[in-house]
Amino acid sequence: MDVRMLRPALALYTGAFLAFLYGPMIVLAILSFQGPNGGPQFPIQEWSTYWYRHLLGLTETSRVSQLPVGDSLLRSLALAFMTTVVSVVLGTMSAEAFRTRFRGSGPVFYLVILGMMVPGVLVGLGMALLSNVLGIERAWWGTAFVLHVVYTYPFAFLVMLAIFNRFDRSVEEASLSLGVSPAQTFRRVTFPIIFPGVLSAALFSFTLSYDEFSRTLFTAGRDLTLPLSIYGTFSVEIYPNLFAFGVLTTLFSFTLLVIYGLLMKRFTGTRAGRFSGQEAVA
Amino acid sequence: MIPNPGRAQIAARTLTSSICGAMTHDLELNSVGKTYPDGTTAVQDFDLKVEKGEFVAFLGPSGCGKSTTLRMIAGFEEITRGNILIKGRDVSHTPPEKRPTSMIFQNYALFPHMTVRQNIGFGLDIKGLARSEKDRKVERILDMFDLTEFADRKADRLSGGQRQRIALARGLVVEPEILLLDEPLGALDANLRRIIQNELKLLQRELGITFVFVTHAQSEALGLSDRVVVMSNGVVEQISPPEELYRRPATPFVAGFIGSNTVIKGTPAGAAPDGTQQLTTPFGTITGHGLAGADTAVIPAEAFRIAPQGTPGEIRLPGTITARKLVGAVGHLRVRLSDEREIDIETHAAAPEVQTLAPGAGVTLGIDPVAVTLINS
Repeated sequence: MDVRMLRPALALYTGAFLAFLYGPMIVLAILSFQGPNGGPQFPIQEWSTYWYRHLLGLTETSRVSQLPVGDSLLRSLALAFMTTVVSVVLGTMSAEAFRTRFRGSGPVFYLVILGMMVPGVLVGLGMALLSNVLGIERAWWGTAFVLHVVYTYPFAFLVMLAIFNRFDRSVEEASLSLGVSPAQTFRRVTFPIIFPGVLSAALFSFTLSYDEFSRTLFTAGRDLTLPLSIYGTFSVEIYPNLFAFGVLTTLFSFTLLVIYGLLMKRFTGTRAGRFSGQEAVA
Repeated sequence: MIPNPGRAQIAARTLTSSICGAMTHDLELNSVGKTYPDGTTAVQDFDLKVEKGEFVAFLGPSGCGKSTTLRMIAGFEEITRGNILIKGRDVSHTPPEKRPTSMIFQNYALFPHMTVRQNIGFGLDIKGLARSEKDRKVERILDMFDLTEFADRKADRLSGGQRQRIALARGLVVEPEILLLDEPLGALDANLRRIIQNELKLLQRELGITFVFVTHAQSEALGLSDRVVVMSNGVVEQISPPEELYRRPATPFVAGFIGSNTVIKGTPAGAAPDGTQQLTTPFGTITGHGLAGADTAVIPAEAFRIAPQGTPGEIRLPGTITARKLVGAVGHLRVRLSDEREIDIETHAAAPEVQTLAPGAGVTLGIDPVAVTLINS
């Protein structure tokens, strides 16, 4: 292809990508400012923040009942947090183990990766059956939590594996040769250097767990997580309060992303020089 | 490791070391070998004894096992045969952090998240040294390496030479018995390499610490060290002081690797009256320095001279000039010998024989037998 055509073509592609990514969200955001009597579609009857107030229970009586998401939001946040901690710790530890080839490391690698490949609905169903057989009660903090870890751990593992792949082992050796124990070396040398990777793995795990649906559907038991309870509201009727909620959770996600960005900047700002230095050596 | 040896053992050891005081070496490798699980051998039967304060270089082409040996001394590679002693203590299976060695890496291996001062103080921090004591040591070594003005910068913002200085300071501040250097100058440009090379030599003399230095550059090994260990394919070829290594190569590999030598094969022809050995070759009899039965003559390039008239005792080879080039004060001549091989000779450009010799002219080469080494091929 002509090189001169490549730039506009790529620009067009990127533009389309962004439009499809943010278009639906923008439509949602606009509709969330629908008036009290408006429905979940255009046209906008009148501009108002009614549905936001409705969501927070600040409106008086209403023909629509309040969106039942408060508890499930807390549950989802707690679940995502627990999942993140466990997945990142496990992912980092197993990636560390995979730095040296051990017997059976090949099969073990693929078995781990399978966790993110198998269809979620099937795993969820299987888990539900298994817990029935074993007589374990299903709960978001039990059966669902286990499946969330099984699902997100391979992602954390892959991220950490990539980080360790370009990790300069001689830095650790330098520390050991100064008389520093392996444990201290990990704490004082390895961990600070891989920390940006740990952050990325955490972001991955959190996001994946936070809106996991199919695995949670069969395993969450009586108390629902956020994606489940939102889905539940669809079966009744959709009102703009759902859109208002969508906008708020999106803002929450952006906040997380900003925190992630700031942390990354803080911990990798000094690293740009290091990478260029390593290239000079190689 | 021997936990708490008995009194008798200590007594015995003291006795041994007092009888043969010179026998406790700083570093001792006894037929050390390493074979990987897949059966490939990295290092074989490595024997070496290093005196305190000695500067030893491991020299060889890449993949010869020199770095592996260094890493075995540091404890980063398991040994599968033999043992390693540091100051008489068997450290063969001691983990790296418990060995009195410090390692310097080619890529500096500085801690990117620490300042220069933190990098250097790191080893002392962990050792739990009193703060004042630690600060004193760090300041002293910062000063010694001219790093004080960069002390609070992140290490990755500095130049290669400065970074290698930081690495040296960091390795030395913990006061190791032995400093292990793995191609420490490999990543520096030629100028800087020369400067740091000089610093290294001075530093080693001043501190009196044993240095073991790995390099694939002849000039570094020959210029810096007290003794050079030449390795090839995991085997030690020769251990000699640089001067001897250069003048008296012991194996065909060393003859080919160090300097620029001409190798001529022949059959042993017994000893000459003066004690030198003789060799019958297609070029006639060649005498030289070597053991009885040696069948190969090694002649360094600088031993050849253009010799229209012979001097008594000189080895003489006929040849033909094939090329002549004058570069400033140096004349480069290429001479074809009777077996078609060509050798390069350097002479003074002003020498009369150089002025008159055009390509095609026949010449006689003279070699002083003192410069010739006879080895077994």
